[in-house]
Amino acid sequence: MITMVLNDISHGLANVLDPTILALMVFGVLLGILMGSIPGMTATMTIAVLLSFTFTLEPATGMMLLLGIFGGAVYAGSIPAILIRTPGTPSAAATIFDGYPLSQKGEAGRAIRMSTVASFIGGFISVLALMFLSPLIADAALRFRSPEFFALALFGLTIIASVSGDSLTKGMISGLLGMLIATVGIDPLTGYQRFTFDVPNLMGGIEFIAVMIGLFGIAEGLRKYAQGIDDDQNQINQKITGVLPSLSDIKSIAPISIVSGFIGSLVGAIPGAGGDIASFITYNEATRWLKDTTPSFGEGNIRGVAAAESGNNASTGGALIPTFTLGIPGDSVSALLIGALMVHNVTPGPELYQDESGLLYTIFVGFLLIYVIILIFGLLGANYWARLINIPQNYVWPVIFVLCVIGAIALSGTVFNAWVMLAAGGLGFVMRFRGYPLAPMVLGLILAPIAEANLRRSLDISGGSLDIFYTSPIALTVILLSIATVAVPAIRSVRD
Amino acid sequence: MALTKLKSNPLSVIFILVSVVVIAYATRFPDGGELGPGFFPILVSAAIIVFAVADIVVDDDTELEISDFSMVPAAVMFGFLTAYLLLMPYTGFLVGTMLFLPVGLYYSNIRSKLMITVISIGLPIVLFYIFSDLFMVRLPEAIIPVSRLLPPLPL
Repeated sequence: MITMVLNDISHGLANVLDPTILALMVFGVLLGILMGSIPGMTATMTIAVLLSFTFTLEPATGMMLLLGIFGGAVYAGSIPAILIRTPGTPSAAATIFDGYPLSQKGEAGRAIRMSTVASFIGGFISVLALMFLSPLIADAALRFRSPEFFALALFGLTIIASVSGDSLTKGMISGLLGMLIATVGIDPLTGYQRFTFDVPNLMGGIEFIAVMIGLFGIAEGLRKYAQGIDDDQNQINQKITGVLPSLSDIKSIAPISIVSGFIGSLVGAIPGAGGDIASFITYNEATRWLKDTTPSFGEGNIRGVAAAESGNNASTGGALIPTFTLGIPGDSVSALLIGALMVHNVTPGPELYQDESGLLYTIFVGFLLIYVIILIFGLLGANYWARLINIPQNYVWPVIFVLCVIGAIALSGTVFNAWVMLAAGGLGFVMRFRGYPLAPMVLGLILAPIAEANLRRSLDISGGSLDIFYTSPIALTVILLSIATVAVPAIRSVRD
Repeated sequence: MALTKLKSNPLSVIFILVSVVVIAYATRFPDGGELGPGFFPILVSAAIIVFAVADIVVDDDTELEISDFSMVPAAVMFGFLTAYLLLMPYTGFLVGTMLFLPVGLYYSNIRSKLMITVISIGLPIVLFYIFSDLFMVRLPEAIIPVSRLLPPLPL
């Protein structure tokens, strides 16, 4: 197996050294850094809005652009967190604790350079984990049958609902709504038209990429207008000088960055637990392990920045483990990546490791290279990226709305999907105000076909008996975990 | 008390009503209620009802503080987007976007006439070339096909 993996890696390396792919990676990273540096512009939103640019590209080429944006945005979220105490992306929230105090001491440049190095370490470790662990998981998943896949889909939904918002019930409702939306169109098993009302555009189902663009692009933009489009204008005047980090700083952060990289990869692999949760966990672990440090955590400790940044970047590769091996997205971005692959009729899951191993390893090697690009450009351009925070948001949002519209239209060349996107945007905006997380809805959209087909197939095999789920140890364990994910917080809530 | 909880969770109430309608509709599918096409939508709708009722009963305070936000700008922008899409079959993507952008930018407090003009004319043209000529995506055309006046890319 190792020989096969190494062989695939060498093929992947040959593919990603193609000048077009390299150029798209660099472009993606720069775009990601640009968007991640502007507070409120998340990696998810950027990818949702720009997904349509990859429809006509080869799957591997398109993925390089999207992964470049992903890695670049997660890394760059730390820049405004350090400079203006506002995370560029939710993943960088924990970076504020020590990054901002460093900035106040006039050490913003040092903090950004160390954040760049730690992001590289965390991201690199996570992609290595993806590269070498995921084939083992996929190999095991090849033995899964309908009951196991249904159980996994159920688990994916319950866990994302439980970790992605303040309310489990609202998270579950959001996920189930996504599932309900996904039932529109032709029934996969009988061919019956469900909820299509003789509208031709609904026959093929509701285009989930249009829904995602609406949820992450339009809803986010509307929220920005409700919040006040002029409220987030920032002015950065602190000059970031120097390019190379000092050796003593690298020595100081290396151990905690490596450990945080492993933890972040593990956390990222849990569906729903994205970079924000990963960085809080790794930061918290750093404060537990490294006692009696000077300065103490929260007062400008460079290792605090490193722990948070390594953790959140490590979640990127981690999130792709369940995405590629099981077809269950680890977070909203990986849900979008699944969408991007499905446009090219590539369906993530264990079979992908047999049928499309060339594509997969091109993606893995490319993602490793993306972190090298982030390291180089992050260090070289620190001063320039810091200036990006000054870009006024009121220029950006009308342009983003146009990109959302053209992205939805590009799905099928009709305005219908733009209407779907707008409706999803309106719904997402209202739901966010009422405290409903949107990530479970996206997961519901992706998981519904897996859950439905495998549930009905399982019950068909067993003649309608639920025994089929009890007799499979894996399915039973996963279903019990799903029940516990919902029941434990519910019981705790009743007790409180 | 119960009425207050219902009032404070209007979306949960709406989701329950939608689910009831879905269940009623899906039971009319062939073999609805067994393992036919109605089985899964009914199952999901029933689960929504269970969690929505639980949400109303728990009534946790997770919504955003409404006083921190002004709904008017969001509603106005949503209105602009709706008008943009409504007009698109007549204006096409190119002209429609050239009309939407100045309105959107002006409403976003951009007052530089030069910037508004450059963005409103430049962006739609760039996007039109990228999607129409490079990606071969058929973008909505106006009643009077203005986009045909643009010279093709020398590809």
